[in-house]
Amino acid sequence: MVNDSGQLYTMEGVAAGIIMLLTVYIVISTTSIYTAGDTHIPDMQLEQLGSDVLAMMDTPNAKDLKSDLEVFVNTGNSTDFESTFLNYCNTRTSGATDELHMSANVTYRDGNDIKERQFVAPDDSWTGRESAVRVTRWVQLPSANPYGGVRVRAVLVEVLLWRA
Amino acid sequence: MACMNEDGQWIVLMGLLVALGLFFLALIINQSALVGQTTAEGVLEFPKNDIRDLREAVFDYVEKGRLEAVQKDIIAISLERKNAVVSFSAGEQQGVSGRLLRPVIIHYNNGVTEYDETVYY
Repeated sequence: MVNDSGQLYTMEGVAAGIIMLLTVYIVISTTSIYTAGDTHIPDMQLEQLGSDVLAMMDTPNAKDLKSDLEVFVNTGNSTDFESTFLNYCNTRTSGATDELHMSANVTYRDGNDIKERQFVAPDDSWTGRESAVRVTRWVQLPSANPYGGVRVRAVLVEVLLWRA
Repeated sequence: MACMNEDGQWIVLMGLLVALGLFFLALIINQSALVGQTTAEGVLEFPKNDIRDLREAVFDYVEKGRLEAVQKDIIAISLERKNAVVSFSAGEQQGVSGRLLRPVIIHYNNGVTEYDETVYY
C-alpha cells in the first residue's frame, strides 16, 4: 500500500537540510571577512619596511664614522642612495627580488623659508596613481653641505615608496 | 494529507528561533566592516615612525652640541612637512645613577596624537 502520510516528514527533512547548509555557509564565511582594515595592512608593512631601511642606512659602520645616509645626502650622491635603498628593501631570502620603487626629496630650512629639492627622481613605473607610502628620516649635516652650506643643519629626507 | 495534526507547530517555532539567530549574526557581520575601518584608521594615523624619528633627531642634536639653528630647522620643518608642533630642549648635565646626563624634554603634537617625554641623555 502506498499513501501520502510521509510527505510532511519529507518537507521537514528538506527544511532541516537547508538550515544546516545555511549554518555551514555562515560559519565558514564569518571566519574570512575582508574588512576595510585589512586593505591597509600592506601599506603599514611597506611603511615599516621603508623606515627600517632608512634606519639601517643611517647606522654608521663603526663609532665616529658617518652613516651612509649622511654621506649620500651631503655629497648629493643620489645614484648610490637609490641603489642602496632599493637593494635593502628588495632583497629577499631566496628567489627573485621584490618590485619596490622609490623617489626621494630633501627638505631644508633657508631663513624663514622651507625649501624642497628632489633628490632621486621617480623611475618610469611612476604614474601618479600608485598607492605610495611616505617614510622620512632626519639627517644632521655638517657645515659644508649642498643645502645652503655655511652652517650645520638638520634636513628631512622623505622617500616615497611604492610597489609596481 | 490524510492524518493532519498539530505536531508541526514545533517546527514552525524552531524555524522562527533559527531566523532570529540568523538576524543577530547578520547584525554582527554588519558591524565588522565599521570596526575594521576605524581600527585601520587608528593605526595609520598614529605617528609611530614620526615620533621615533624625532627622538633620534633630538638625541643627535644633543650629541652634536645643541645648536640653536638645528633646533629651529627641526621645529620649522616638522610644522611644514609633518603638520606637527614640536618643541624640545636639553638642560644642564646632572648626576643620574653615577653618570652625567642631560634632561631632554620632547613635545610632539600633530592634532590627533600628543606625545611628551622627559628623558635623560
